[in-house]
Amino acid sequence: MIRRSLRWIVDRFGLGPIWDHVLDRNVPKDPWYHGDGMALLVLLTVLVVTGMLLSMGYCPAVDEAYRSVEYITKRQTLGWFVRGLHYWSGGLMVVMLFLHLCRQLLNGGYKSPREGTWLIGVLLLFIVLATSLLGYVLRWDQRGLYGLKVLLTAVQSTPGLGEKSVLLLQGGPEVTSLTLSRVFALHVVLLPMLLLMLVGYHLYLVILHGTTTLAERKEPIETVEEQREIYHEQAEHPVKGEVFFPTAVIKISPWSIVSLALAFGLTIVFGPRALLAPAANHSAEPVSEEWWFAWYSALVALLPPSIAPTFQWLFPMAVFIGLVLLPFVDRSPLRGWKNRPIATTLVVLLVLSVLGLSWLRYQSPWTAQAAAAVPATPAGFELAHEAEQGRQLFRQYGCTICHSVAGSGGAKIGSDLAQLDTIYSQTELRQYILRPPAGVAMPGYEGRISDDELEQIVAYVLVAQTFPRKQE
Amino acid sequence: MKRRTMAGLLVAAGSAVVAGAVGLPTLIAGLSPVWQPKQATWRPLGRLNRFAIGKVTPAAVVIDRRQWPKPAGEQAVFVWRPNDGEIIVYSRSCTDLGCPLEYEPGSGCFLCPCHGGIFAQDGRRLAGPPQSPLLRYANRIQDGVLEIDIASLPPAA
Repeated sequence: MIRRSLRWIVDRFGLGPIWDHVLDRNVPKDPWYHGDGMALLVLLTVLVVTGMLLSMGYCPAVDEAYRSVEYITKRQTLGWFVRGLHYWSGGLMVVMLFLHLCRQLLNGGYKSPREGTWLIGVLLLFIVLATSLLGYVLRWDQRGLYGLKVLLTAVQSTPGLGEKSVLLLQGGPEVTSLTLSRVFALHVVLLPMLLLMLVGYHLYLVILHGTTTLAERKEPIETVEEQREIYHEQAEHPVKGEVFFPTAVIKISPWSIVSLALAFGLTIVFGPRALLAPAANHSAEPVSEEWWFAWYSALVALLPPSIAPTFQWLFPMAVFIGLVLLPFVDRSPLRGWKNRPIATTLVVLLVLSVLGLSWLRYQSPWTAQAAAAVPATPAGFELAHEAEQGRQLFRQYGCTICHSVAGSGGAKIGSDLAQLDTIYSQTELRQYILRPPAGVAMPGYEGRISDDELEQIVAYVLVAQTFPRKQE
Repeated sequence: MKRRTMAGLLVAAGSAVVAGAVGLPTLIAGLSPVWQPKQATWRPLGRLNRFAIGKVTPAAVVIDRRQWPKPAGEQAVFVWRPNDGEIIVYSRSCTDLGCPLEYEPGSGCFLCPCHGGIFAQDGRRLAGPPQSPLLRYANRIQDGVLEIDIASLPPAA
């Protein structure tokens, strides 16, 4: 009776072909670490489920959005957990997607006959990045508002189309309720729908063409026919092949288990991302991007200013076009990282750059901020009354924003006063402070400070020039 | 032409007509913000005597909450009156990536929290990644009230 019912369900719902062609299919044996794609699917499922719940509590109106997120986080039962899981899964998805991309670059996963799989994947990469940014705009706190502004400013720098695109994204000439409605529609409806459809298509192609196997990486493969022959020979081989479900699925599950464990662990330990002050263009709260964009923030901060405006629109476009053209440019028959030293070197450099830039971002936030403290005086130095007054004024007049003194304070924008190349005289210092030479990034103080104050600052700088170069 | 090819083309053409009938109006409605005529939008900042001569004063655009689409919040700006006759209203957006600038009265500089851009009181770039000077709104005085035209700057500013 039960068996008959099961057979009926399998037949009437057409589950047989799915079993035959998807779950019961033979695949070449893959190492355990090839499960990054499956981990992405698991994270996407978590994001869809948690996102559905969040969308039911969220209000996409400029006056209400922030409070609705606060409500979900603080008052809704387990709302903090669902929002935390959504936040961390989103960040982890960007990380896993980067790993997935690196692995395909290393192995030549874009080579024939998998160009279609690759191109859909490139689209997915950009959709995920856009969705991850628009997601934190929805919080409508300071980080969200400025995340959006940075995005729009970068879009605006595109020659010709820039301003029109901003009008389209913003829904008009300024950030209004229409902007938030658009971000909501994009993050909750349009992009996820596109994402799910393209993921489905990507997976269909993965089933049809398979993924780069160990055997394919051994020797050069000139034609698609050759590749298919090797692939199928491996898949149907009693030792070299295995059945997809459950054998292969279990073997490639570590990435998924680690991703899920991280998403749950980070949510329980840190909770969802703390809200900053509500979005307002008059708040003084310092802002920064989410951690998965830290590398990009470091990159644009370190660029020479002359190329920065071009870089902002050219970089994403160049990456997109580069990735799209890759399978047509790299026609070499070799696959696998061992046979492709150039690709391997480039990917190692890419990973090191992303990690290094992110690290730099957290080492030095580059924030120009009024320093809170006066610079310290090294041990063994006694400042005369006038110089001590000057030390206080040094902070009051914002000198500490740029200048450190013997390594104390300052954002290192200007010179450290204990490490000047030339020692200035009293007269030269007066001149410099009142009317800095042309081309020097220092505001002139003429007409803004009194003669007494000038003398006090000069007295301090004269002593500071003699400090040991670095304080212990 | 074969009968089947003919029929196939007919179906394709019919589908294209339906797709156009639904898709085109949707597309036009969606794209409409792009070709809205640019018109001056004057908004008050406050009475002129609130802004001292020789100083930089932070200010915020007063918003009428009844209007639609509802502005996202008060637009913060900086008013600089170098002398009696001249009024300059700066956008608060850094010209690098649009981050919110802070005014530091001690040095008379505008500081960017994102990547350390610094601007002088007269809007010149002094340090950091930005390349161009601070953006200035068109302004006017109406009955003793300082007003700016928020449409006088690019949409993301």
